[in-house]
Amino acid sequence: MTDKILAVWFSIGLSLLSFAQTSSTVKGVVVDAQTQTPVSGANIIGDRLYAVSSENGEFTLENVGTGTVIKVTHLGYSPAFVTIPADHRDRRIVVQLTETNTKLEEVQVVGNAKERSTRKFPLSTVEASGAFLEANRENSLMQTLSKIPGVSTINIGSGQSKPVIRGLGFNRVSVVQNGVKHEAQQWGNDHGLEIDQYGIEHIRIIKGPASLLYGSDAIAGVVDLQAPKIPEARSFTGEVNLLGESNNNLFGVSAGVQSRKDRWFYRARFTYRDYADYKVPADRINYESYIFELHKNRLRNTAGNEVNGAFSIGYIGSNIKSETFFSNVYAKNGFFANAHGLEVRTSSIDYDRSERDIDLPFHLVNHFKVINNTTFYEGQHTIDLELGFQNNHREEHSEPVPHGYMPKPDHSKERVFDKTTFSLNARNTFTPHEKHRVVFGINTEFQNNNISGWGFLIPKYNRFTAGIFAYDHIAISDKLSFQGGLRYDFGLVDTRPYVDWFPSTVKQSDGSTSSVYVQRAQHKNLRFGNISGSAGISYTTKNTSYKLHIGKSFRMPLSNELASDGVNYHMFRYEKGNLDLDPEASYQLDIDVDHNTKNFSLGISPFVNFFENFIYLNPTPNYYETVQIYEYTQSKVFRIGGELRFGYALTENLRMDASAEYVHSRQLNGPKKNFTLPFSPPFSGLISGNYQFRKDLLCFRHLQVTADYRITAKQDEIVPPENTTDGYQVLNLSVMSDLDLFSSLKQVQLRFKLNNVFNTRYFNHTSFYRMIDVPEAGRNVSLSLTIPF
Amino acid sequence: MKSNLKLWTIVLTTGIFFTSCSSDDDSMAKDEEKPEITINYDGGFPQACTELVKGETYNFRARITDNMALASYSLDIHHNFDHHTHDDQGAQCDLEPVKEAVNPMLYMENFSLADGPVSYEIDIPITISENVDTGDYHCMFSVTDQTGWQSRTSVDIKIIE
Repeated sequence: MTDKILAVWFSIGLSLLSFAQTSSTVKGVVVDAQTQTPVSGANIIGDRLYAVSSENGEFTLENVGTGTVIKVTHLGYSPAFVTIPADHRDRRIVVQLTETNTKLEEVQVVGNAKERSTRKFPLSTVEASGAFLEANRENSLMQTLSKIPGVSTINIGSGQSKPVIRGLGFNRVSVVQNGVKHEAQQWGNDHGLEIDQYGIEHIRIIKGPASLLYGSDAIAGVVDLQAPKIPEARSFTGEVNLLGESNNNLFGVSAGVQSRKDRWFYRARFTYRDYADYKVPADRINYESYIFELHKNRLRNTAGNEVNGAFSIGYIGSNIKSETFFSNVYAKNGFFANAHGLEVRTSSIDYDRSERDIDLPFHLVNHFKVINNTTFYEGQHTIDLELGFQNNHREEHSEPVPHGYMPKPDHSKERVFDKTTFSLNARNTFTPHEKHRVVFGINTEFQNNNISGWGFLIPKYNRFTAGIFAYDHIAISDKLSFQGGLRYDFGLVDTRPYVDWFPSTVKQSDGSTSSVYVQRAQHKNLRFGNISGSAGISYTTKNTSYKLHIGKSFRMPLSNELASDGVNYHMFRYEKGNLDLDPEASYQLDIDVDHNTKNFSLGISPFVNFFENFIYLNPTPNYYETVQIYEYTQSKVFRIGGELRFGYALTENLRMDASAEYVHSRQLNGPKKNFTLPFSPPFSGLISGNYQFRKDLLCFRHLQVTADYRITAKQDEIVPPENTTDGYQVLNLSVMSDLDLFSSLKQVQLRFKLNNVFNTRYFNHTSFYRMIDVPEAGRNVSLSLTIPF
Repeated sequence: MKSNLKLWTIVLTTGIFFTSCSSDDDSMAKDEEKPEITINYDGGFPQACTELVKGETYNFRARITDNMALASYSLDIHHNFDHHTHDDQGAQCDLEPVKEAVNPMLYMENFSLADGPVSYEIDIPITISENVDTGDYHCMFSVTDQTGWQSRTSVDIKIIE
């Protein structure tokens, strides 16, 4: 306590003195001893001296005499003592901190605000470590993260999913990898996130409006897959991960190596997964009045495979850090054969001859990325550059059949999307005064989207966006900080014309009919501009942090929302864009209280949100060529909700955790006034018990058993054309242990997991197959081994 | 003692927050019912596996109802020579061998109901043209209500000489 009073006293004293005296300035940087990455939020304390290291680890001390001893502390690191050398004016002082964390502690840390910087960041943020990902690994990255309260997924079968934060998904959640926004066909119903979930060390999830920092689309939140830590100097490490699953007969292998000489380092990873049709606890699917008999409970043709490769090379110098990442993700997934979307299909394909093959309909996607991250440290400035090139190629194949006026096509390529995105972000972090950290920067992005195939949904387009932002993080005191900033974005969308490849019969105004090649998209140039911003405060004590944040975020309309004009036969709807759409603007108030002690933790994060003009695909009462017209429409939307989290260590070994999440949405005007929004997740809770064995059993070390019981309420808040979904309860069990197989230093990690223990038949309201009444996957046993070397 | 106070503040805030969310009032009435459509009544036409003769005129009839107001309906008749789909009537009709279409019948029409009735009988007279391909066809009725809910029903039929 005395320490804290002193620290506050010093900081006040120093802030008064700092403008008066300019002599004897000491500049330094705090780095992680192992990875050489900057450590932000470290406390630097000396006789009448106090500073906190900035985001890039830098600090400045004024009025320092030679020989002064400073103490540098940070949560999770051992304190370091440094004597200021005589020649400090000529060089920066580098303070190395050694981590005190052990792996097992890190697993528990998830869900809490781990780093001091996170605790002081005024938005509700969850950090997921590599250990958390390892302990909770599911079939896709987002399924792994859905254990975090407020995070859910839209699943497409067993191998694909897309992120949902507090009930909003698609283009309202930004996924950022190594600083560059992941750009694919996020708007698509059957599109999943094409990112290898292995090799990710740290994910930051922001629940709330984050356009200020992340630009358009970060309206509901951000999934930020951060660049992995730089390997230790003169090291070579690697790991092989093996995974087997019983439900979809999955076999997966992922192997990664990383090495560093002194200044140069590299990493490489290869992942391969292959899985069969997944099993559901049902013999037949009843969809409306159709009945699909299932062969051995398997959802036919939902098999898939995935091949990913990644390589990066980097350099770390005294004033520069740079890494270039190359990655390619390839996936091929079958779609349920009896109904593609809502369209019931019969086929002469013998789907049941093998559960591993992928027949029509299927999609394949290839995502290639090159990203460079470079940071320059120059005095009080840190300059970050992020350059990205990515190409997303996605093909949807289905058996060609005539539809409406379209004759039978002669190949299976229904839709092909080829999208290339160039990104450039530049950011300067500047510490003019130890209480201020000013950040300003730009984000620019150019997209080129090409289409082919016999089906038409969205036109070819080019899109350019640029945003400029500035914010200031002010450490008002040791405990209290403020962050606020403004941003302006500008966007240009250039849609290209599209004309049907077949003639349609069109009625003329005089009653006669004629045969015409219908033009579905016009050549249009659209411009958008938007101002967004946010302000928040955080108050942090030893065990508790309080945050209050208000922000305006936005999203540019997408080309499908602007210019769709085609029949989506799989959904039995005619999708009609609207060129008059405005950028979505959302205002949100967030509160976050987080309390953690050794044996007890409690967190609550409520929010209130108002959308001025939420864009959604509204089913109208009208028809176009006998399919229902769905029109992109905007309406005012009010949302309220939040998450609650509670944890208690009953004994030294046994810990209980409980969490709950809830979102309520209501459209305030428009054709669906009083209705909720599509894909609203129901109220849901998770109760977990974790028992850690303190003693080793045979060769099992750090043995722990976890039981997760998920309770989800009925969802009867729906909007056409959704169906209500009953509540459910599901139990998952897992056992984790380290094994002393080859060496006691590098222990093999073993994980045994039993999902859906009672083979419960239940429906997930936000699953892609929910609309055709397909239940979720049945019981699954998975075994995973991680072998380090 | 101080930390207890803090704890209670958190618990209370939580309580208020969750009770305020659950106090949903029902005055915000909204239409949550889909319209209904059926051909399973006397006069519903066509029934599963019905054979239509070229040159004849038939009245396609289905009954539609809604709790509030019906809006539009449509009828789609297209060939099923490739056996790409089947109906929802439960009966399995004997399908002819798969064949290529030459001049298949294609009927696609939309109709709107101006005054929003709660029940209506669709009655569309259609003459089967002499020059269309004979074989398996698929007939689908759809209906929407004013809210935008939709229901569909489909039936397998044949066109014969």
